[in-house]
Amino acid sequence: MTTLLERPEVTKAEPAVVASRRRAGLRRELLGLLFLAPALLVFGLFSWWPIVRGLLISFQETNLVDPAVWVGLENFQAVLTDPLVGTAMTNTLLFVGLGLVIGFPAPIVLAAVMSTVRRFAGVYRVVVYLPVVVPPVVAILLWKWFYDPGSGLFNQLLGLIGLGPYPWLQSPHTAMLSLVLEATWAGMGGAALIYLAAMTGVPAELYEAAESDGAGIWRRIWHVLLPQLRPVIGLLLLLQLIGTIQVFTEPYIFTQGGPDDATLTVLLLIFRYAFQDGRYGQAAALSVLLALVLAVLSAVYLRLTRSWSTK
Amino acid sequence: MATPMRVRAALVAAATGLALTGCAGLTPAKDDAGTDVVLRVQGMPAPTDSAALAQFNRLVQDFQAKNPGITIEGSENRWDPLTFSAKLAGKTIEDVIQVPLTEPQGLIARKHVQPITEQLKQWTHYQEFNPQVLQPLSDGAKQVYGVPQAPFAQGLVYNRKLFTQAGLDPDKPPATWDEVRAAAKQISAKTGKAGFVHESKGNTGGWQLTMLTYTHGGSMETEQDGKVVAAVNDPATKQSLELLKAMRWTDNSMGQNQLMDQDDVVKQFAAGQVGMFMGTPGTYKLAKTKFGMKSTADYGVTSLPQAGGNATLGGAEVFMVPASVPKEKVDAAVKWLLFAQAEAQYEPTVAAERAKELAKDPKAAVGVPTLPMFSTAQQQKIDAAIKPYVNVELEHFRPWLEGTPKLTLKPEPPLAAQKLYTILDTVVQSVLTKKDANVDALLTKAQADADKMLAAEQK
Repeated sequence: MTTLLERPEVTKAEPAVVASRRRAGLRRELLGLLFLAPALLVFGLFSWWPIVRGLLISFQETNLVDPAVWVGLENFQAVLTDPLVGTAMTNTLLFVGLGLVIGFPAPIVLAAVMSTVRRFAGVYRVVVYLPVVVPPVVAILLWKWFYDPGSGLFNQLLGLIGLGPYPWLQSPHTAMLSLVLEATWAGMGGAALIYLAAMTGVPAELYEAAESDGAGIWRRIWHVLLPQLRPVIGLLLLLQLIGTIQVFTEPYIFTQGGPDDATLTVLLLIFRYAFQDGRYGQAAALSVLLALVLAVLSAVYLRLTRSWSTK
Repeated sequence: MATPMRVRAALVAAATGLALTGCAGLTPAKDDAGTDVVLRVQGMPAPTDSAALAQFNRLVQDFQAKNPGITIEGSENRWDPLTFSAKLAGKTIEDVIQVPLTEPQGLIARKHVQPITEQLKQWTHYQEFNPQVLQPLSDGAKQVYGVPQAPFAQGLVYNRKLFTQAGLDPDKPPATWDEVRAAAKQISAKTGKAGFVHESKGNTGGWQLTMLTYTHGGSMETEQDGKVVAAVNDPATKQSLELLKAMRWTDNSMGQNQLMDQDDVVKQFAAGQVGMFMGTPGTYKLAKTKFGMKSTADYGVTSLPQAGGNATLGGAEVFMVPASVPKEKVDAAVKWLLFAQAEAQYEPTVAAERAKELAKDPKAAVGVPTLPMFSTAQQQKIDAAIKPYVNVELEHFRPWLEGTPKLTLKPEPPLAAQKLYTILDTVVQSVLTKKDANVDALLTKAQADADKMLAAEQK
C-alpha cells in the first residue's frame, strides 16, 4: 500500500526532477564547452582556419595583399600540367619506397636484437633513441659532412677498405638514397622502442609452446613473434607512409631538390611554388591534392586503429 | 562542489582570456592617433657584430632627434622567403625590409612592395642617383621601389695564396675565361684544391649562369612582338655550359662539392679550399664577419673575365617598403632610408664619421669598394674622406676597380628572374653532376620550360 500511495507523489514530482536533471546536464555540458573553449579556439585559429583558407586559396589567384581573384580550377590545371609535378611525385614515391625497403625493417631488426640484450639494456635504449632527440637540422648538417665527397666520414671509412670515393649527394643516382639513409637513422629510434615494447608484451608461454613443438628460431619469429606484432607493424607502416610522403626537411636542407631535380619532392615543390615563385594558388592546389592522398591513407589508418583497439 | 566548479570556470575563463590577449598581441603596432609614427625597420646588425650595432643605435638616436614624431624600432630580421608571405598577409611585416639583390624584381612583379619614387624625389640629390643602380629596383613605368646599399658589379674573387702556390701571379688575375680555365687547372694540379667553383643551389646556379652568359655576349630573355621570351637556348649560354663541363669533367678543376650556394662557396673560400669564384668585393665582408677570414692578405678580386660579351651583372643589397605599409608610414620610411643609407654614400663627412666608428672594431671590414651610388666624382670624394679608416688592402681590390668600368653593367633578366633561375639551376646541376650531360638537350628543354613560364607570367 505504501508503495501504491507513494507512487502518485513520485509521478507528480517527476517533471521537476527531470527539469532539474536537465539543468544539471546543461550546466555540465556548458562547463565542458567552457573547458574546451581554449583548445577549440587555438585549434580553430591555427589548424582549422588555415586548412579552410588553404582550400579557398587553391581556387584563387592571390598575392596575399590585393583582393584575391576566383579562378576556378585553373590552379589545379596548371599544377597537373607542370612536368615538375610528375618528377616530384616520382621522387617522393622513390623516397617512400626506399624508406620501406631500408627504413621500415631496420627498427624491427634493432628491436629484436635489443630484446635479447640483458645487460645495460637501458643504455642501449638511450643510444638508439638519441638520434630522435637531435634536432633534424643539426642531424642533417652533421650528415652533410659525413657525405662530403672529399673529406667526408663515409668516404674516409670506405677508403680504408678500398671502396669509393662515392659522390653521395652530388650524384642524381645516389642523392635520394643518401637522404633515406639519414632519415632512417634519425627516425628509427622511436619505432624501435615501440617494437621493443610490443615484443616484451608477447607471452613467453607462446614461445615455450612453439619450442616444445620443435620450432626453431626462424619459425618462432615467423609463427609467433610476427603475428603478435602484426597490429603494431601495420600501424607503424601507415605512419611511415604518411610521414615519408610529406618529406621536406631532408631534401630542403641537404640538396634543395638537386642535383638535376633528383630529390625534388612534392612538399619541396609546394614550397617552391609558394615561397620562391609566389604562386600561392598553385601551391595550395598541390597541397589539396596531396591532402587527398593522405586522407585515403589516414582512413586506412583509422580503420586499422579501430580494429586494433577492439582486439 | 560549487566552489571548485567556480574556480575551474574562472581558470577556464582566464585561459581563454590569455589566449585572446595572446592573439591580440599579433596585431601590428599602430600610430597614436596619427601623431607619432613607430617605424619597424629591418637591417639592425646582430649583437655579434657589436661595432655595426653600436653604429645602428647611434643612427637611430640621431634620426629620432632630427625627426621628432618618428620612433625607430630596429629588427635583426632580413627578408626570409619562409615567413615573408605570411607576415605580409597578416600585416606584421616590418615597415622597411632588407632584401638580397636577387629578389627586388620578383617582389615588384608580385606587388609585394610599393613605389617610393614620389618621396625619393623630394630629396635634393635624387637626380644624382646612378641610373644603373636604380634600374634593378624599378619597374617598366620607371617607378623606383627601393634604396640600395653598397651597389656592386660581379667580378672574379680569387685566393692570392693559392695563386702563388700554383705558380700564378696574384697581381695579374685572369681576364678571359680561357685564362680562368688554365689557372683553375693549374691550381687544382698544384694544390689539390678546387680551382674554380660555380654555385648551383637555391637559384644561385641560374643566377651565376646568367652572369657567365653575359660575359659570352648573351642574355637570358629578349623581347619579341612586345612580349618577353626566353633566350636561353643561345650560343652564349651553350659556350658557358661547355666551359663548365670541360672544367668539371675534362680538367677536373672544380673540386668534388657541387651543390653549393653563395654561403657554401664563401665558407670554403674563407677556409682556403677554393681558388676562384664569381663574386663581388662585398663577399670579403661575408668571408670575414661570418666565416672567420682574418684579413685581405689572401683575398683578391678582379673584374669579371670575358669571352666576347664585355659585360657583367650589377646588383645591390636593397631596402624596400612592403605593400601593406600604410601611406603615412611610407614618408617616414623613406626619410629613414635616405638618412641611414643614401646620405652616407653621398656626403663625405657622414661617410668619414661612420667609417671612423666602424674601424674601432677590428672585426669590421671598412672601405670595401662598391660601385658609385651617385656619380664617380662623388664616389671619389667619399673614398678620399674614409681613407684614414680603411682596414682592407685596397691594392687587392684594384683589378676589380680598374676593370669593371670598362664593362657594360647589365641587370638581371627583366621578367620572373627567380623562376628562370630555378629552371636554369637544374641545367647547371646536370652539367656539374652528370659526366654525360647533353648540353644541347638540356638547353632545348630549359628554353621550352622558360618560354612556357614567361608566357604564363604575361597572360
